[in-house]
Amino acid sequence: MSDGPAPLARLVAELSRLPGIGQRTAQRLAFHLLRAPDEEAFALGDAIREVKEKVGLCEECFNLAEGPLCRICGDQNRDRATICVVEEPSDVIPIERTHEYRGLYHVLGGALSPIDGVDAEDLKIGELRRRVERGGVSEVVLATNPTTTGEATALHIAEMLRGQVTVTRLASGLPVGADLEHADEVTLGKALAGRRSLE
Amino acid sequence: MLVTAIEARPLRSLDRVRVELAPGIVSVIGPNGTGKTNLIEALYFALTGRSFRTSDRRDLIPFGGSLARAEATVRDEDGIEHQLLAAVSRSEGRRHLIDGSPADPATIARARPPVAVFAPDRLTLVKGPPAERRAHLDGFIAARWPARAELRKRFGQAVAQRNALLSRLAAGYGSPADLGIWDSGMAEAAAPLVEARAEAVADLATAFNEAATELGLDEGALEYAPRAAGSTEEIRAGLEERREQDIRLGRSSWGPHLDELKLNSAGRSLRRFGSQGQQRAALLALLFAERQALLEARRVVPLLLLDDVMSELDPGRRERLVNRLGDGGQVLITAADEESVPVAALETVVRMPPPQTESAAP
Repeated sequence: MSDGPAPLARLVAELSRLPGIGQRTAQRLAFHLLRAPDEEAFALGDAIREVKEKVGLCEECFNLAEGPLCRICGDQNRDRATICVVEEPSDVIPIERTHEYRGLYHVLGGALSPIDGVDAEDLKIGELRRRVERGGVSEVVLATNPTTTGEATALHIAEMLRGQVTVTRLASGLPVGADLEHADEVTLGKALAGRRSLE
Repeated sequence: MLVTAIEARPLRSLDRVRVELAPGIVSVIGPNGTGKTNLIEALYFALTGRSFRTSDRRDLIPFGGSLARAEATVRDEDGIEHQLLAAVSRSEGRRHLIDGSPADPATIARARPPVAVFAPDRLTLVKGPPAERRAHLDGFIAARWPARAELRKRFGQAVAQRNALLSRLAAGYGSPADLGIWDSGMAEAAAPLVEARAEAVADLATAFNEAATELGLDEGALEYAPRAAGSTEEIRAGLEERREQDIRLGRSSWGPHLDELKLNSAGRSLRRFGSQGQQRAALLALLFAERQALLEARRVVPLLLLDDVMSELDPGRRERLVNRLGDGGQVLITAADEESVPVAALETVVRMPPPQTESAAP
C-alpha cells in the first residue's frame, strides 16, 4: 500500500504498536480519526496526554494514583491493619467491586518468574516488608493469581513475613453456579482441602 | 461424535476431493500412489491442524502450489454439524477455523473426536525417545479424565520455571534459597500427574496384553516407570535433596518429566530389542487398549486412522483385528486391495483415486 501523507503513516505506525492492534486495524482506526470531528479526535489526544501526565503510582501501595497517594490509601475510612497483595493495578478493581474488602492494597507489579527474569528485587516485595515492619498491620492477604508464578510469589511472601504478621491466601475453589462434574481435578482438590463446616 | 465428510482442496496429490464417511469401519482402497495416506492425512489435518507425517505443515502444499486446505464435517452428540477447516499457505501461514471463525486449540479440541493414528512413521512412538510416550500417555489421560487434562501443562510450566532459575544459578546469578518456592511448585504439580499416569497405565495394561496377544506379540506388557513417586511432600523433599546436583547441571535432574512408559515383550524392551513387526504390533495394541478403555468409560472414542495395517498381518489376525474394531467408534483403514481386507470391513468402501469434485464455489 502507499503510505499516504507522512502524519497519517506515523499515526498508523503508533497505533499498530498497541496490544492487539495489527497493521490493518491501525489503518482503520487512523482513517476513522481522520474523518471524525476535530473535538472528538482531540479529546482522545488530550485523554492520552492527561493520563500520562497525571496518573502515577501511589507512594504507599503502588496502585495507580492521581497524586502522591491513591484514592484507597487516602481514604481514612479504610481498615489500615489489613493489606491485600495483588500482582497488577488491574487486580484491585475486581476486588473492590466485591465490596467485601475494606483494607488497603499492595501492588507488586508482577509475579516472580525466572523464565522472564523477574526476581524479588524487580517487584515491590521489599516495600511490602517495610510497610509491615513499620507496624500497625495485623493481616496480609495474598491475592496473587492462582497460577504457577502467582502461587510461587505468594509462597515467597508468606515465608518472608512468617512470624511477623498473620498471612492469609485467597481460597481456591469452585466457581459459583458451576457443575462439580466439569471442575478440573486440581481446583476440586483445593476446594475439598479448603472446605468449611456449615454453622 | 462422527466425522461425516472430509474434503481436501488441495492437499499433496489430492486436488478437490470430497469423501462422505459413515459410522463404523470405512475401508479406503486403491492401488499404491493414489492418495490413500494423503486422504487420512487430510482428515487428521482438518481435525487437529497438524500432520502426523511431518512437522512442517508446508509439506502439505501440492507441488507448485501456494496453499493446502482440508475441511472436515463433524456431527456432535446433539446432531449438530460443525465445519473444521485447516489451511496452510506459503504467504499467510496457517489457520484453523471452526464454522468459519478462528478458535483456540482447546475450543477446537472439544468440537472434534480425539484422533489416534497408526502409520509406519508412527513407530517412533515405540522406538523413539520417552518424551513421545509421555506426551501420548498424557493425551490419553486428558481423553479419559477431562478434569485431569491440565495436569501436563501445569507441570510443564512449573518445571520450566524451576529450570530457568537453575540455569541462572548455574551461571552464578541469584540465590539458591529462591529454589524453595519452585521446589514446592514443581512438587505440587508433579504428584497429581504421576498419580494420573499410574492410574492410566493400570487402566490400559490388561487390554494391552490381550490385544498384543491377538496380534501375535508374546507376553506384551505395558509398564509405567515413574522417576519420582509419592506424595507432594515426598517429591518436594526429593527435589531438595538433589538441589546441588541440579544447580551444577542447570536443570531439574529428577521428576515426572523423565518418566518412561515401557512397552515390553517377554520381559524385553520393544524399544531396544523389538523387530519392526513386534513394534508395529505393540503400537496397534496400545491404540486398541486406549480405545477400549475410552469405550468402557463411555468417553468420546477416538477416531482411528489405520494406514496400511493389513499388509503385514496374516488372514487370521486381520479377522481378529476387524472384530475388535466392530464394537463402536469410527475407523478408517487403508489397503491396496480388497483381498487383504476381511469382509466385515467392506460394508463402507471409499475407492481411490476418487472422482474429483466439480470445481464449484471455493
